[in-house]
Amino acid sequence: MTDNNLNNVANQPAENVTENIAETIADINAGAAVAAPTSGGKPKKKKSDYRVTNFEIIRNYRHYTTKERKHYKYIFWRRIGSYVWPFFRFVIIFGLSFVILYPILYMLSTSLRPQVEMNDPSIMWIPKTIRFENFVEVWKAIEYPQALWNTLVLNIVSSVLQVGTCALTGYGFARFKFKGKSFLFAIVLLQIIVPVQIILIPQYMQFRYFDIFGLFNAVFGETLTLTNTNFAMYIPALFCNGIRAGLFIYLFRQFFRGLPKELEDAAYLDGCGPFKTFISVMVPNAASSFLTVFIFSIVWYWNDYYVSSMYFSNANTISMKIENIATTVSLYLTGEVGNALDFMVWMEAGCLLAIAPIVIMYIFLQRYFTEGIERAGLAN
Amino acid sequence: MSDEKNLGKTEEVAAETIAAPTESVKTEETVREEAPKAAPRVSAHNTAAAAAYNASNEEVDIRRKGGEKVQVKIKTNKIPYEKKKNLYGYGFIALWAVGTIWLFIIPVIKSLWYSLCDTWLLDKSEALLRGMTSAGIYTEWNNFYNFRRAFTIDTNFTPLLTGSLAEILPQAVVILIFSLFIAVILNQKFRGRTLARAIFFLPVLIATGPVISVINGDMASQGVSDAAQFSSLFKTDLVSELMEFIGIYNINQQFTEFIENITSNVLNLVWNSGIQILIFLSALQNIPPSAKEAANMEGATAWEFFWKITFPIISPMILANLVYTIIDAFVSTDNEVMRYVLAQSTNWEHGYAAALAWIYFAIIGAILGIVCLIINRFVYYENE
Repeated sequence: MTDNNLNNVANQPAENVTENIAETIADINAGAAVAAPTSGGKPKKKKSDYRVTNFEIIRNYRHYTTKERKHYKYIFWRRIGSYVWPFFRFVIIFGLSFVILYPILYMLSTSLRPQVEMNDPSIMWIPKTIRFENFVEVWKAIEYPQALWNTLVLNIVSSVLQVGTCALTGYGFARFKFKGKSFLFAIVLLQIIVPVQIILIPQYMQFRYFDIFGLFNAVFGETLTLTNTNFAMYIPALFCNGIRAGLFIYLFRQFFRGLPKELEDAAYLDGCGPFKTFISVMVPNAASSFLTVFIFSIVWYWNDYYVSSMYFSNANTISMKIENIATTVSLYLTGEVGNALDFMVWMEAGCLLAIAPIVIMYIFLQRYFTEGIERAGLAN
Repeated sequence: MSDEKNLGKTEEVAAETIAAPTESVKTEETVREEAPKAAPRVSAHNTAAAAAYNASNEEVDIRRKGGEKVQVKIKTNKIPYEKKKNLYGYGFIALWAVGTIWLFIIPVIKSLWYSLCDTWLLDKSEALLRGMTSAGIYTEWNNFYNFRRAFTIDTNFTPLLTGSLAEILPQAVVILIFSLFIAVILNQKFRGRTLARAIFFLPVLIATGPVISVINGDMASQGVSDAAQFSSLFKTDLVSELMEFIGIYNINQQFTEFIENITSNVLNLVWNSGIQILIFLSALQNIPPSAKEAANMEGATAWEFFWKITFPIISPMILANLVYTIIDAFVSTDNEVMRYVLAQSTNWEHGYAAALAWIYFAIIGAILGIVCLIINRFVYYENE
C-alpha cells in the first residue's frame, strides 16, 4: 500500500480523492492496514496520521465538493454501520441462542425437581429441593443400559453399512459415464422425495414374510420373519436403501465430484483398477466427508422411531422408549397408565438421558459436523 | 455362434489378422463393402468378418504343433480403455440398483396397487385357500373406493390435509428467509462464532427425534405458569404493540394474524431451520473471496453486495432449500396427516392407508412442481 498520498486525505483536491477511494476503504476494513508489507524500511506511520475521523468529516463537510461529499458520506455511514452492526448481531445471536437453549435448560431445571414443585409458581429456574432420584427412576423404568446398547449396535452397524454402500454408489454416479445414468440418478432424487410412509407397508410385508424367489418357502415350507430382528434395519442399509439413503448418495456424489480428477489418474497409471483406486485414493481423501455423513447417519438412526416402530413390536431402542415415555414411567411408578402431566419431571429426565449420548458425541465432533459439510462443497 | 468352428476353415484369413492385428478393422470394412458383390464367397467373408471382429476383442493364436491345430486365446483389452472403465460404473451402483428395485420400486408399485384394492392380511392356511403361495396381503380390486372414501366419506382426512397445507407453505417461506438471514450472520467473522454455530446446529440433532414432541408439549402445557414471562417476550403482545404504533394493526385481520403466528412461533422456527442454515452456510462459503474484494473496491455497501452478488450465487441453493423444507415439513412424523396415515395402517387398513399416502404424495409433487417451475425462472446458474 502506498501511504504517502494518503496523508491528509481530507485536505486533498477532488481529483485525487477518487484514486484514493480504494485505499481508504481497505483501510476502513482492516484497521491495521497501515502495517502493510510494502512500507518496508520506512518508519511505520500511525493510523491517526492520515485517517479521517468521522468527526472531521462532519466538521469539514461544507467545504467538500459534490464528489467528495458522496465519497465521505459513504465512508461515514459505513463506519457507523461497522460500529452498530456487531451490537445488533450480538443481540440477535444471543437472543436466538437463548431460544434454542431454553428448552434444554428448562428440561434440566424441571428434571431436577420433585413433581410437586412443577406447579409451584414461585419457582422459575432453580428448584427448592434437588431430586436426583428422577433420573434413577427413569433409568430403571426404560431399562436405559439395555436400550442404549440395542440402539448403539443398531445405529453403528446400520450407519457403517449405509455409509459404505452409499459412498460406492455416489462415486459410481460421480465419476463414471454409463448408459442410463441420468435416469438412474433421477430415481435417486425420487428416493429423496417419496415419503417413507408410502413404501413402508409393502416393505414391512417383505420383511415379515421374507423370501428370496420363493426359495425359503420351497425349502422350509415357511417364509422367514425378519421383523423384530435387527436385520430389518441392516438389510436396507446394506442395499443402500436405509433411512435417508437417497440424500446420502446425493451428498457423496457432490463430495466426489469436488475432488480433483488427477488423483485418480495417477492411481490408474500405477495400474490400479477402479475399485482399488476408490479404496486407496478416494476414500482417504474424502475422509472428512465420510465422517460428516456418518455423523448425520448416526443422528438420523438415533432419532428414528417411525421406521423402527413399524419393524419392532417391542420397543427396545431409546427413541421408541421416549415416544411412549409417559406410559412407561407411569406404569413403572404407579402400576397403571396415568395422565402424562403428572409425570412431567420423569419425562424431562428421560429426554435428557435420551439426547445425552448424541449431544456428547456432537460436542467432540462438532468441528467435523459443521466444517466438514462446508468444505465438501455441498453447493456445487 | 459357430465362429470357432469356422475359424478352422478360414485359418489363413484369421492368421492374416493375427499377423497384422492393427489392420483387422480395415479388413472388416473392406469385407463388408465387397460382400454384396461376391455372392458365392459370402460365407467365407462373413466368417472372416467374424474372425476380425473376434480379433478386435481377443487375439486368436493358432499354432501348429505336430500337425495338430492348437488354438490359444490370449485375452487382451481391445475395448477402448475409457469405455471399459465406465462399465465399472455399473459395478459401483450394483448394490444400490438391486436394493432399489427390491426395496423401493417394487414397494412403490405394490403400494400403488394396494391403494386401488381392498386388502386383507392372511395367514398361511387362508392364503393357500385363496390361491396364494404364502402368507401375505390379499388384494381385491375395488374400483377406486379408497380414493372416493378419502374425499367423500372420511370426515377427518380433508380438513387435516387443507390444514397442513395452509400451515406448511407460509411456514416454509418464513423458514427460508430466516435461515438465510442467520446463515449470512454466521458466515461473518466475529468472536465466538464457533460457539454460535455449535448452538445453532444443535436443533439438527434433536429436532428429528421424539424429544421434540416433548419439548413442544412443554411449551404448550406451561404457557400459563412459570414460563409465561419468557414466551411473552416473543409473543403477540410486543409485536401487536409495535404494529399498533406503526398504525397497521387492524388494517387486515388476516395479515395481522399471519404476523402474530410467525412471531409467536419463533421457537418452532429456530428449531426447524437447523439443516437449512447448514445448507445456506455451505453455499455462502462458495462465494469467491475475489468477488468480495472486487465489490469492496467498487465501493459496494453490504446491502448491495448481498443483493447483487450473494443472492444470485446462492439462488440455486435457495431453490434446493425450499424443496427440502417443503418435503421435510410434509413428511415429518409430527405432521398431522402423516400420523393419520400411520394410524390407518396400524388398524390394518393397508389399502386405505396407501391411498391416503398417494393422495398426499400427489399433492406434494404438484406443489413442488409448481414451486420449482416458478422459482427456476429466477435462479441464476453460473454455467449457462
